[in-house]
Amino acid sequence: MTLRINKARSIWWTISAAIILSGIISMVISSQNPNIKAPLRPSLDFIGGTRLQLVRDCSQPGNCDKPIDINTVREVAKDQGLGDSSIQLISENGQENGITIRTKNLETEQRTNLQNALSEKTGTFDPQKNQIDSVGPTLGRELLRSGVLALVVSFIGITIYMSFRFQLDYAIFAIVALFHDILVTVGAFSILGLVAGIEVDSLFIVALLTITGFSVNDTVVIYDRIRETIKINPDRPIADIVDDAVNQTLSRSINTTLTTLLTLTAIFLFGGETLRNFSLALIIGFLMGAYSSIFIASTLLTLWRERTGKYTIENIDN
Amino acid sequence: MQRQRSLLVLIIVLVIAAIMVIATIPVPLGLDLRGGSQLTIQVKPSEEIKEITERELEAVKKVVEGRINGLGVSEPVIQTVGTDKILVQLPGLNDPEQAERVLGGTAQLEFRTQKPNTETQIFGLQVSRKELKAKQEELRKSNDKEAITQNQEELQNNNRAIAELFESTNPPLTGKYLKDAYGEPTQGTNWNVAIRFDPKGGELFADLTKKLAGTGRTIGIFLDKELISSPTVGVEFAPTGITGGSAVITGRFEAQEANNLGVQLRGGALPVPVEISERRTVGATLGKDSIQSSIYAGIGGLILVLIFMVVYYRLPGLIADVSLVIYSLLTWATFCLLGVTLTLPGIAGFILSIGMAVDANVLIFERTREELRAGKSLYRSVESGFHRAFSSILDSNVTTWIACASLFWLGSGLVKGFALTLALGVGVSMFTAITCSRTLMFLAVSIPSWRKTELYCPKLPASNKAEVAQ
Repeated sequence: MTLRINKARSIWWTISAAIILSGIISMVISSQNPNIKAPLRPSLDFIGGTRLQLVRDCSQPGNCDKPIDINTVREVAKDQGLGDSSIQLISENGQENGITIRTKNLETEQRTNLQNALSEKTGTFDPQKNQIDSVGPTLGRELLRSGVLALVVSFIGITIYMSFRFQLDYAIFAIVALFHDILVTVGAFSILGLVAGIEVDSLFIVALLTITGFSVNDTVVIYDRIRETIKINPDRPIADIVDDAVNQTLSRSINTTLTTLLTLTAIFLFGGETLRNFSLALIIGFLMGAYSSIFIASTLLTLWRERTGKYTIENIDN
Repeated sequence: MQRQRSLLVLIIVLVIAAIMVIATIPVPLGLDLRGGSQLTIQVKPSEEIKEITERELEAVKKVVEGRINGLGVSEPVIQTVGTDKILVQLPGLNDPEQAERVLGGTAQLEFRTQKPNTETQIFGLQVSRKELKAKQEELRKSNDKEAITQNQEELQNNNRAIAELFESTNPPLTGKYLKDAYGEPTQGTNWNVAIRFDPKGGELFADLTKKLAGTGRTIGIFLDKELISSPTVGVEFAPTGITGGSAVITGRFEAQEANNLGVQLRGGALPVPVEISERRTVGATLGKDSIQSSIYAGIGGLILVLIFMVVYYRLPGLIADVSLVIYSLLTWATFCLLGVTLTLPGIAGFILSIGMAVDANVLIFERTREELRAGKSLYRSVESGFHRAFSSILDSNVTTWIACASLFWLGSGLVKGFALTLALGVGVSMFTAITCSRTLMFLAVSIPSWRKTELYCPKLPASNKAEVAQ
């Protein structure tokens, strides 16, 4: 099987543009949404707040007889002046035994009051299963800033490294492909935030940075092959060289993505709550990384080199 | 061949060493896996102290340490982070409520006077206090939680009893009047602690010392209601008290003791409010569940990858599997040796790096197959597979390192763990792919009965086979 990617390059570009555009539209809608007010739904890591995850202690007799009623929980929150908190029930062993409450940043006193009021109404909680996260708004902004800074720094670092190892135009298109992957992933999470209420936290930034590494990785392997072929055969049309390079590295691209996806899917399925969104972001990003290196980075490089006339010769038979 | 053999010996030695390391040195678990509370304390500038410097942060840390020790938690970690934060980790604490209560707020330092006729009482209390403290140290080592809590209560009762034997001056001489405090050497190995008050504090201190001079009653210096020092005042100060706002606490201090007391006093005098800006608590059971699920995920992912490699790449796949297992052992041993604290994102980084380690092998084997299809001999194909794939492997690993480095320098705690494990994993994977896979491949090629091309590349055109077999 050979893939002539350069023949249909306008199709690939249209597909990517459509995906990215829908992500951007979602980010705009999300920014207008009074509940979110940001392109992505931020977790308390970035805006501050308190999140309590409490699970009842079922070893005490009679404690878990009735499932938790979400309305009771809502009322308790309202009594504490926390009516606008978001509340979810967690089921364990088929029964709804736990609560997750996300509120504004609570002081120790307020939090203890809420916890006590809740356990009075719903049953005693098992402190061994508690998870309490609380972040002040200033620290949240700091986390966001340092996260974004880390992204920018690694972009710059990679551009420098790539232009040092390859030529500058390679580096630029690798970064374009990288932006493509990051934009698609961010767009997807913006949509997930709107539709499914999925939040982005510090780990999401980690995921983006990992995608950065892997995306460039994929592109590098193909560019490496293009460079090698150009050296041996400088007179061939660039479109052919690129098509060949993509095909020669195709099984590697597929297999590597597949094996990485195998481990990621394992984390997604069995890795627990904390790592679920993280692995989802990586799955989307890695798929896009493989796609963009084959269909975007290579075709853009072809177009550029055809336009600028580097390494191509006029076809005399024409 | 000689080189291959010595590499093989090296690999075997490394694997044995790795297994021994893993068996003897446990990897410390992060709070998200073992359960506990982590609090980030932000030290805020105030009107009096506009900028938080290292000296101030150190003093506040001392105050925080004092408060945490008062809680009786075993193995607390207290460290300064950046320029204005202190990180407190309290393993095993499910409800940080109490910790938060004692940690918040400005330190309270006060100089009080001992009530008359309490000398014998104080002496007795101080003796038992010393015993209790020594016992507490012992208990901490043994990790007996119940006994620690009980002893802690006794200590607190003792503290309270001592505090009752002292009374405040009017107005109270608190830390806000103290300008500075530091240890300074005198003759020989003896150290003193010098203290300096502002004018108003100097007056109060003169009054206080005048009252106590020559009586044998002591000044009680209390930090957060705990007695940290109780000096007496010499009889020569009886007429006027210690005037001028400066004083020296003598008493055969060692350098360390004097500095400690100085920092404690400074910390107590700091009018900087501390605020808990981040609290993260994970219950112990929840942590255990996380370990279990991430182990399932890791092993599940690894097995799937191992199967895939053998099915697709045949003999080289098997070799890659062996080097992947070696990879996992070596990486884990590296974590043990470097004392990497394992967190949940850290485990994710490790699992992910397994995927990366596979990539290097995939690159090499694809290249080998290509060379075989181009009609090269088996040995030459394997050789050029490794040779030519190297630049791709290097490039791709360096880009991942760049991303990891910026995460590590700029990220916060949890994020750092991920960056570190992924970066270490990528580093070890380069070694295993290039050294282990390579050595084992050449070993396989050197065994005549294993020299069948079907083992390396199924569906090779028949015309090529004859040549390759040579």
